[in-house]
Amino acid sequence: MNRGTGGGAVAAGFSLLFFSFLFGPLIIMVITAFNSSSFPRITPWECFTTEWFAVLFANDRLMSGLLNSLVIAVSVVAIAVPIGLAGALALSELSSRLRAVLYTVLITPILIPGVVLGISTIVFWGALGRGVGAEYGSFFFDGMFLTLAGQVTFISAYAMLVFLARLQRFDPILTEAALDLGATPGQAFRKILLPFLGPAIGSATFLTFLASFENYNTTVFTILSGNTFTTALASKVRHGTDPSLSALAVIIIGVTLIGAIVHEAHTRRKEVLRTGIARRSRIYGNPVLKTLVHPLTVFLILAGIAGLATWQGTRHDASVCKQQVLDDKRARQQELLEEQRRKMQEQQKTTAPVSAPAGAAGKANPSPFGGAFSPNGLTPGREEPAPADAPAKANPSPFGGAFNPNGLKPSQ
Amino acid sequence: MPGGNPSGIHQAFPQSVQPFFESVMATKDIVLDHVSIRFGAYTAVDNAHLVIKGGEFFSFLGPSGCGKTTLLRCISGFSDPTEGRVLIGGQDMKGIGPNKRPTALIFQNLALFPLMSVSDNIAFPLEVRGVGRKDRRKRADELLEMIALPGVGDKKVHELSGGQRQRVAIARALAVEPDILLLDEPLSALDLKLRHHMRTELRTIQQQVGLTFIYITHDQGEALTMSDRVAVMNAGVIEQVDPPESIYNRPKTSFVASFVGESNAIEGKVASQAETLVSIETPLGRLQGQAAGGRQYKAGDDCILFIRPEQLSIGDGLPNAVTANWVKEEFEGNSRQLFLEANGVPLRLSRVNLGGTADTRSGAVVPVGFAPDQAIVLPHGVLAGA
Amino acid sequence: MQALQTAFKQIAGKHGLGAATFVGVAVLIWVIFLIALPQIAMLDYSFRFNLPASDVGGPQDVYTLDNYAYFFQGNDGTVNTLDIGILVRTLIAAVFVTCIDILLCYPIAFILAHSATGVAARMMVIGLIVPFWVNEILRAFAFRVLFGATGLINGVGMSIGLWDQPVDFIRADVALYSGLTYAYILLMVFPIFNAVEALDRNQIEAARDMGASWWRVHWRVVLPVAKSGIASGATMVFMLTAGALAAPQILGGPSSLWFTQLIYQWFNESANWQRGSAYAVILLIVCISFVMMLMRVFKVSIGEIGR
Repeated sequence: MNRGTGGGAVAAGFSLLFFSFLFGPLIIMVITAFNSSSFPRITPWECFTTEWFAVLFANDRLMSGLLNSLVIAVSVVAIAVPIGLAGALALSELSSRLRAVLYTVLITPILIPGVVLGISTIVFWGALGRGVGAEYGSFFFDGMFLTLAGQVTFISAYAMLVFLARLQRFDPILTEAALDLGATPGQAFRKILLPFLGPAIGSATFLTFLASFENYNTTVFTILSGNTFTTALASKVRHGTDPSLSALAVIIIGVTLIGAIVHEAHTRRKEVLRTGIARRSRIYGNPVLKTLVHPLTVFLILAGIAGLATWQGTRHDASVCKQQVLDDKRARQQELLEEQRRKMQEQQKTTAPVSAPAGAAGKANPSPFGGAFSPNGLTPGREEPAPADAPAKANPSPFGGAFNPNGLKPSQ
Repeated sequence: MPGGNPSGIHQAFPQSVQPFFESVMATKDIVLDHVSIRFGAYTAVDNAHLVIKGGEFFSFLGPSGCGKTTLLRCISGFSDPTEGRVLIGGQDMKGIGPNKRPTALIFQNLALFPLMSVSDNIAFPLEVRGVGRKDRRKRADELLEMIALPGVGDKKVHELSGGQRQRVAIARALAVEPDILLLDEPLSALDLKLRHHMRTELRTIQQQVGLTFIYITHDQGEALTMSDRVAVMNAGVIEQVDPPESIYNRPKTSFVASFVGESNAIEGKVASQAETLVSIETPLGRLQGQAAGGRQYKAGDDCILFIRPEQLSIGDGLPNAVTANWVKEEFEGNSRQLFLEANGVPLRLSRVNLGGTADTRSGAVVPVGFAPDQAIVLPHGVLAGA
Repeated sequence: MQALQTAFKQIAGKHGLGAATFVGVAVLIWVIFLIALPQIAMLDYSFRFNLPASDVGGPQDVYTLDNYAYFFQGNDGTVNTLDIGILVRTLIAAVFVTCIDILLCYPIAFILAHSATGVAARMMVIGLIVPFWVNEILRAFAFRVLFGATGLINGVGMSIGLWDQPVDFIRADVALYSGLTYAYILLMVFPIFNAVEALDRNQIEAARDMGASWWRVHWRVVLPVAKSGIASGATMVFMLTAGALAAPQILGGPSSLWFTQLIYQWFNESANWQRGSAYAVILLIVCISFVMMLMRVFKVSIGEIGR
């Protein structure tokens, strides 16, 4: 070990564990989206289903929250990116003592707990509103405006950090050169500095959008009685969960992965073109392969796969399988019930079934046919005569009757 | 827009450009009128007072930190002098920004815009003056022709070699026909061979366009080979302004004598002076040399006698004979450097390599001497590198 | 003021009057209306009584220490062990989570900076970032799926016979700590990575060449360089963990509250904004003083945060 390179095997092993910690929970969540069990879980596996996507899109609160979130996120980007740029420019010009003071002031919104920011925002604008005698319906008391103000406070600092990092690599000599060549300061700013900051503007836009969209701690206070996507999501998670949230995760992770892969294809291509090794490279030298690894092609392929999966998903019908699982359970419960009845006839204390989620179903519909289906077990079959009314009655949870193949909109 | 006359040159550049510049240059003298530049208590440039003539290749030579770049930035307009005036063509430049002066600066790292193509770089000065896209392109092509890089206009800057970038930077600076080109150690990033090549090239371009070049360098080779006149600076003070030969052969201060070229410095006290011939008392005995610039010394003045290594020769019966001990010899290809020592004073002697091998051994006694008219006696002062 | 004027002139001279005006106005709005005044308003609010709207501004609307007194003494004058306990527990838990994150992220940052090359390094960076594009709530939800009574771990554990009753990971706060550790990993990896990356690889090799063992190389060569990154990451992770709301709400056990949840309750359940503000001020002051203290101990300046 003392002559090794820090331990190749150890490093690889640690990395592997680390990334399983990062991805494990996400993968498991993704899998639960396709289990028909009404609680998100993998074991026991019941049926492959796509119905949770339909449940997800049928959730009005989430969908209206999504609209609010998008409006807020776009506004936050439009305000926080310029403010962050201004902050970074100011810092780069100040004398070192003043710079340290301003940096501390501008960086604190990142360190202040989000709840504190949220509270201070509503308290301040409320007081200001009362101070100018604004009505209760005015923007001082509007959840959207307050959320915007609260989020811009700290998200601007994120943008500023992005710009500062980029500005550090800017050679101020370039501005001087532009001035010397006859440009006005404004021209130098527009033609030299802004183009240089271009990539930073891109990443700051992305970062601020994401930060705004995901924010919970501040927003939960500032949105007041309204809802954003994230607050609606949180209240849903807090008040009982179902796998439609996993379905949401599937969509977000899918979009994220497509984005990451396309971005990677884009940077690689740029890198190869920039270094000029394109002609020597095996992939970029071949015209077919070159087209294949073009970011647009990559995107189209991935989007096509996602679209196909969605289309397939809408056609998938898990009702038969679910019915079997249900009947299976019911039969087992029936057996258990009979057994208990026989054993504890004199006491008659409890007849409640043991296993949790489908327990209610067992009680609600003590079907006399239950046992009849048990021999067929889990094998799905079209010829199986499924009792039409059983699922709806048997299961009070939203998925039963709500299943609707057309509810899932294809992404194209 | 002083100096900005984008339509002034539109024919093929190399042929037409010369008469145009010649007609303007006489009026474009640069006057540094008692210029001092201070940052707080620190004086970066102390009372610089000189005239740079239009069309001249003028160099500021000095060690790093001597204030030469500060002075250049003052001429180009990035700062104003604390005291004194900068006049260009008779006009006081105070308060006139770098974008309004008839100067163009070539930065040490060239400051080519990395996100623009070569053409866009060269045409940038025209772009900010509102010249149309077509005219810009045409002018850029002319300039690329002039710097012998036709056809690279669409390349990105990072695709060019060091020497090519150098030439593009010059083309960009020349795009709007400035009166004065300021160059801040532009060759320092190049390798040795290219640096030597670019010296010749810069000088050729300067003679071709006939502009005033003000060149900043710490490399005496560059200053001596290219310049019409050289100003040697030390610690904010201009020590001497002269043509290169005078700088080397007739230094006026001990700093110049020690900074430019190699020199043996022998400290002593003046014994007597007859005409320009000064006798001084040194640890090596009484030696004679020329009083620099016709100075008059009094007996007992502290002074230094400078003698170039190549002016020292080995042999008996020479004037200013000194008995030295052999320390070591360094072989430099075309020359041999002999390191000697006499009574605690190190001496260096340079001989042309005529083949053969060194024959003297450590500690051996070597008689040396030099002609009095090759040695220069200067008042005691700061030495370079001391 | 003088210095600000100089800075304004400098920006105007360099980037033009338009740019300078934009910078000045934007920064002023940000600092005054978004950062300073809201905090001052909250502070002011925390010293007031919770009055009905009609009494606001009336003779009863005077300053009071009541809200702070409540935190320390409760209603009956005895020590408010419940709320103080929650604050202390929150801080200890945040320190715990921060330490776990340092232990997890230091090796990864080092591997990323000095062992991984080419494709592997790029994949690692993408692998680090992608999970954090997923909503914070969903990430917490994933841990609930993992650790719930009918979650994967209980399911697997019970089916292979490790235990026969579902273990309540939620009540034991295992889920909460895992979720919090997970939530801010990225904010720990990148500051350390940035610091360690600046280290010249030759230094490590030189140290090895001179016979130092690998842990000594880390202790003497790498850690001193990584220190500023660790401090920066630890500050952010600590502050965010102590101020976390979503994860404790989703993953926290029913009996153990996070301090932010207390604040949330004062606002949204008791409708006592004044007391909520006071609690928010307490959280802010305690967290910042704690971080300042640690920064002094480890000799890092705030200027290094966020690099």
